[in-house]
Amino acid sequence: MGITLRAFIRKELVQTLRDTRRRVLLFGAPVIQLTIFGLALSTEIKNIRLAVFSRPDDAMFLRLAERFYASGWFVPAVRGPGDDPMELIASGGADAALIAPAEGLRRSAERGSGKMQLLVDASNASKARAVEAYSKSVISEAALREYGTPLRTPVRFDVRVLYNPAMRSSLYLVPGVMGMLVCLITIILTAMSLAREREVGTFETIVSAPLSDLEVLLGKTVPYVILGLLDAALVVGAGYMIFGVPVRGPLWQLALASMVFVVATVAIGTFVSTVSRNQQQAMLGGFIFLFPAMLMSGIMYPVENMPGAMIAAAYLDPLMYFVRLLRNIMLKGGAPGVFWTDVGAMALMALASAGLAYRRFRRTLN
Amino acid sequence: MNDTVVPGRGDKGLLRNRVVEVENLTIRFGDFTAVDGVSFSVRKGEIFGFLGANGAGKTTTIRMLCGLLAPTSGVVRVGGLDFDDGGNGIKSIVGYMSQKFTLYDDLTVGENLDFAAGLRKLPAAAAEKRRAELFGMTGFDRPLTAKVSDLPGGIKQELALAAAMLHDPEIVFLDEPTSGVSPAARARFWGLIRRITAVGKTVIVTTHYMDEAEQCGRIALMRAGRIIALGSPDELKDSAFPGPMAEVDFQGSDPAAPIERLRKAPGLLALSPHGMRWHAAFSEGALMDAALSALPVSVRVRKIKPSLEDVFIRLAGGAQ
Amino acid sequence: MTSFSPHRAFAVARKEVMHILRDPFTLALALGLPVMLVTFFGYAIDFEVKDIRLAVYDRDGGPAARRLKEIFSASGYFRPVEPEAAAGPIGMLDSGRASAALFLEPGFSRTIKGGGEAPAQFVLDGSDNSKAAAVAGYLPGIAGAARLRLSGPGGGEPFYAETRFLYNHELNSRWFTVPGLSAIIIGLLAILLTALTVAREWENGSMELLLSTPVRPLEIMAGKLVPYGVLVLAGVVFVYLSSRLVFGVPFEGGHLLYLAACVLFITAALSQGLLISVLARQQQVAMQFALITGLLPSMLLSGFIFPVESMPRFFRALTMLLAPRWFMAAVRGITLKGADLSELSEPFLALGLLAAGMLALALKKFKTDLEP
Repeated sequence: MGITLRAFIRKELVQTLRDTRRRVLLFGAPVIQLTIFGLALSTEIKNIRLAVFSRPDDAMFLRLAERFYASGWFVPAVRGPGDDPMELIASGGADAALIAPAEGLRRSAERGSGKMQLLVDASNASKARAVEAYSKSVISEAALREYGTPLRTPVRFDVRVLYNPAMRSSLYLVPGVMGMLVCLITIILTAMSLAREREVGTFETIVSAPLSDLEVLLGKTVPYVILGLLDAALVVGAGYMIFGVPVRGPLWQLALASMVFVVATVAIGTFVSTVSRNQQQAMLGGFIFLFPAMLMSGIMYPVENMPGAMIAAAYLDPLMYFVRLLRNIMLKGGAPGVFWTDVGAMALMALASAGLAYRRFRRTLN
Repeated sequence: MNDTVVPGRGDKGLLRNRVVEVENLTIRFGDFTAVDGVSFSVRKGEIFGFLGANGAGKTTTIRMLCGLLAPTSGVVRVGGLDFDDGGNGIKSIVGYMSQKFTLYDDLTVGENLDFAAGLRKLPAAAAEKRRAELFGMTGFDRPLTAKVSDLPGGIKQELALAAAMLHDPEIVFLDEPTSGVSPAARARFWGLIRRITAVGKTVIVTTHYMDEAEQCGRIALMRAGRIIALGSPDELKDSAFPGPMAEVDFQGSDPAAPIERLRKAPGLLALSPHGMRWHAAFSEGALMDAALSALPVSVRVRKIKPSLEDVFIRLAGGAQ
Repeated sequence: MTSFSPHRAFAVARKEVMHILRDPFTLALALGLPVMLVTFFGYAIDFEVKDIRLAVYDRDGGPAARRLKEIFSASGYFRPVEPEAAAGPIGMLDSGRASAALFLEPGFSRTIKGGGEAPAQFVLDGSDNSKAAAVAGYLPGIAGAARLRLSGPGGGEPFYAETRFLYNHELNSRWFTVPGLSAIIIGLLAILLTALTVAREWENGSMELLLSTPVRPLEIMAGKLVPYGVLVLAGVVFVYLSSRLVFGVPFEGGHLLYLAACVLFITAALSQGLLISVLARQQQVAMQFALITGLLPSMLLSGFIFPVESMPRFFRALTMLLAPRWFMAAVRGITLKGADLSELSEPFLALGLLAAGMLALALKKFKTDLEP
C-alpha cells in the first residue's frame, strides 16, 4: 500500500504541477481571486450618486446637502442645469435625488411640516434600502444640529459589533470565498482527472495492476486531498497577510475542518467522475453539484433568510457547514460545541459520499 | 459453423506446460454475448495470436485472461490461478499492454516507469535493476528525463511494453501492440516479442495484420465471439485449403465473363479478389488444371501457396 | 483561398448539435442551470434580513422595557428568543443561537418615565457582515418608533424626507435579481461550453481532422458558436418568461433593445470562450480559465449583487473592461426603468466595443493558429 500510494501521489502531483500554467491556475488564481474579491466586494453601499434640487438661496438645505456628501456614503451626481430629477435617475445619472420644499427648508420646518422628497432608484432593491437608511440618519443628525437642543429620545442604543467591530467586509467575505475556492478546485480537479484517465486510456494501466479497488480509489484521490489542503492553507495565509483576517480559534480546528471538508468534496468529485464518460461531462457534472452548493452555503446570503424547504436543503450542503465553521473558527474563536456538531455533520456527509463514490467506483472498475 | 475446421487440437500430453487454460469461456453484457463458449490452451514459451475483425471478441477475451473482466461462465486458469479472488492473483503474474495508449503523455520516461513500479509495489532498487535489464533487452536508449509526448510512436510502444514487464511477468498480453506504428517499428517490435519468448516467457497477442499473425506459433481465428479455427499458420492453411491454389491475373481484360465461368467450375473451393487479381482454390490439382486451361490465353495464371489472408477470408469473411 | 461557405459551416453546426443532444450533462446544465437559478433567486433569496434572533436580557422588568420588546418584535425584523442563563449572551452569539442581544438595565423604565434618556446596550454578531449591517440599519427606525410609543406624540422631527422608491415601489428583491440572471447564464454557459468544446477537439486530435478538410477556420468557428449561442439564448428566454409570468417582474422597455443587448453580450462571451480554448488547448486549463474570467466576474463583479459603485476606484475602472457589467446595466435599465437607447448609449457602446474587440481578437488568434 505504502509504495503504491507514494507512487500515485508523486505521479498526480507531477502531472498537476509540472506545467507553469497549471501551477498558476492552482495556486496563483485563488490568491488573486481572493484579493480581488476581498478588495472589490463590499456589503457596504458606497458612492451613492445623489442629486439635490432646491432654490439657490436655501442655505439650510444646502448645509444638509453638504452633510450628505461629507458622510462618506454619498457623492454628488453630475448633472446639467435644466435636469429633471426623475429623468436624471432614469438615465442612470443619479441613484437618488433629494428635493427641498418649495418655500425653502427653514421656512417649511418652522411652519411645522419640513417635508422633503427623496427619490431613490430602486432597480437594485437592497441598495435602495441602504440609501433610505443612510439618508434618514444623515437627516436626523442634521435636524439635531440645526435646532441645537437635542431631541428627546427615550432610548439610546449603544451598539457593539462583536468579532468584526469595524464591520470590514473582507473579514466576512474571506472565509466564504475560501470555502468556495477550495470546493471548486477539489471537486472539479478530482472529477476531471479521473475522467481524463478513462478518456485517454491510461486507466487500463492502473486497473491491470494487482491492486484492490480501495487502493486504486485512494491512489487517485489522496493526491487531490493533499492539493486541496495546500490550497486551503494558501488562502488562509493570503487572507491573513493581505486582509489581516485573523484565525482566532486553534489551528488544529481549522486543519481538521478543512481535512474533513476536502475529503467530502474529493469523494463527491470521484462520484461525479464515475457517472461521466469524458472530461467535459465530469466538469459539467461537477457544476451541477457546485451551483446549488454555493448558492445555499450562506456565503452571499444568510441561510436563516431562506424559506423552510431551502433551509432543509442547505443542511445537506457540506459547503454550508464549512463556511459556517470557517467563520466560527476564524472570527469567533471556535466554540467547541458548535465545532464538533458541524464537523460531525460534515464527517457524516464525507463518509456517505465516500461510501457512495466507492460503490460506484467499484462498479465502473469491473 | 459446423463445417469449420479446428485442427491442431490433437496435441495431448505436455499438460504441465500449459500456462493458460480456458474452457467454455463466455461473457455476456446484457443481451449481448461478446465471447461465446471459447476453449483453448497456451503452452509456455509460445507466441499465441488472436486474429479477427474488430468486435470479434479478441480484446474481451484477453481482458478476461488478464483478470480485468469476470467471465459470466466457464473456466479461466492462468499460470495455475483462476479468477476467484477477483483477478488479482492473475494480475500479479501477467503483464498487460492494452490497445489504448497506456503511458502518461505528460510524464517523463522515468516517471512513467516509477509509477508502473509503484502500481506493482516494487521496491525502488528492484525496479531500477529490472529497468536496466529491460532497457538492455529492448535497446531503449532515450534519457529517463525525456517526455513521453516527445517520443516517436514505435519507441512509445517499446516503452509501454517495458512498463508492462517491469514486474517480470511469466505471461505477457499484448492487445494490438503495433496499431498506428510504422512498418519498420512493427518489425522491430516483433523482434522484441521473439526475444521475450526466447527466454521462456509466453506472449499472447491480438492483431489484425496478417504478416504479424504469420509470426505466431499458433493462431486462434475469432468471429462473432467464437474461435472458428485454431492452429499454427501452416495447419490453418492446410485445413482451409486441402488442394492447390492459383492466382489469376486478367492483365486488363474484362474479367466478368471468365469469372462467371470459373465460379461454376467443378472442384472450386474458393474464389476471391485480391486487388486486380483473383485467388482460386480447388479440391484437386487435376480439376484446377482443367478449369484454368479454359480461360482466355491473355490471362496469366500462377500457382501459389495460400496466405493467412486467404484463410481469413475463407473462414471469417464468408457469409455468416 | 475559398470564401466563407454557409453550407460547410452548417455541417459543423449540425455535428455540434448532435454532440449537445447526445451529452446528457451539457443538456442538463444548459437547461437545468436557468431553472435552478431562477428558483433560487426567485423564491429563496430575500435581501431583506428578517427574523433576526434577538436575546433580550431584561433586568428592569418595567412597562417601558416590555413595550420596547414589543416594538422589536412588531418591526418584523426581530424574533425574540429566550435568553439562556447558562450560556450567557456571548455564548449564545458564539454558538449562533442568537444573532444579537439587548441588555436593559434596572431603572430603564424609571428613567424613561422621568423623561430621561435610558441607555440600552445592543450587541451584534459581526461575523456575517451583510446581516450585521442590516441590523444596525434597523436600529434608528426602532428608536424612532420608541420615541413615538414611549414618550407620546410631540417628539416629531423638525424636518424629514419622504422616500419614494422609483421603479420598484415595494423593494421586491426578485425584481432586480431575476432579470439579472440572464447575465450569469450567458457568462457561464457561453464561455464554458465554447471553451471546452474547442479544447476538446484539440485534445482528441479531431481538430486536425477538421482542418484537413476544405473547411475554413471561420466556418468552423461559426459552426461551433452558433449552436451554443442558440442554446444560451434559450436559457435567456426562459429567464425572461419566468420573470414575467411567474414573478410578475415588469418589463418597461423595448424587447428589440433587450434582444440586441443579449446578442451583443452572447457574442462577446462566445468569443471569449473561443479565445480561451485557442490559448489553453487543454480542457482542464480551459475550464479553469473560463471560471476565472467568465463565471466569477459575471456573478461577483457585474453588479449583480454587489453594486459596482461601491467598489474602490481601481476596481470600478477594472469592471469597465467586463462585458457582464455593461450588460447588467443595460438589462436593469430596460426591464425596470424602461430606458431607451439614448439613455443606455453608454452601456450599449461599451458592450458593442467589447463584443467587437473580443471577436476580432478570437478570430485573429484562431486564424494565426490554424492557417499555415
